[in-house]
Amino acid sequence: MAAVAVKYPAFQELGAEILAASVDSVKTHQEWHEKELSRMVKGGALYPMISDPEGKIGRLYGVYDAKTGLDLRSHFVIDPQGIVQAMEIVAAPIGRNVSEILRQLRALQHYQATGDYIPCGWEPGKPTLTKSPDASTTSGKVWEIWKPRNAF
Amino acid sequence: MEIRIGDEAPDFEAQAYHQGHIQTLRLSQYRRQWVILLFYPGDFTFV
Repeated sequence: MAAVAVKYPAFQELGAEILAASVDSVKTHQEWHEKELSRMVKGGALYPMISDPEGKIGRLYGVYDAKTGLDLRSHFVIDPQGIVQAMEIVAAPIGRNVSEILRQLRALQHYQATGDYIPCGWEPGKPTLTKSPDASTTSGKVWEIWKPRNAF
Repeated sequence: MEIRIGDEAPDFEAQAYHQGHIQTLRLSQYRRQWVILLFYPGDFTFV
């Protein structure tokens, strides 16, 4: 969550809010923020840290693990209309890739703004695939305009 | 409960620690902007 705190300004520049939730109480969030997060990141985590006792919200999103009584490490990208556009759930021992979440946000915003399709591994500045009114003009011809090296 | 891409994100009300204060928030108050909703197993963990 410290890594998310580092990238929080980048999310804000894109007009996105971060909401971070665990089953901990707000008091524990406060203690963690004061004792650790604010030592790792200047100013600490500036986004709301949600308390989700008994995993009520986690259950709504299918990420509450009843065996451990914890919310699984996961993220949901929700668009301005309130629609879920991306999601990921990762095993607890594995940390997330905050840059990938940012990339998904940028890709979704680019798609919603232009209607262009976003190829594998796209980053801002890389080519997108313009949607053709007639699928037959691009079907089987992507190889002419997009190379696998563009994915890396 | 299972969420699928294209579903409306379920609304909720919750208490949050935010910049030194305890506040109550609702997901729906962030309509008209993008939201990254993150879940994590717990405070004071390594990852």
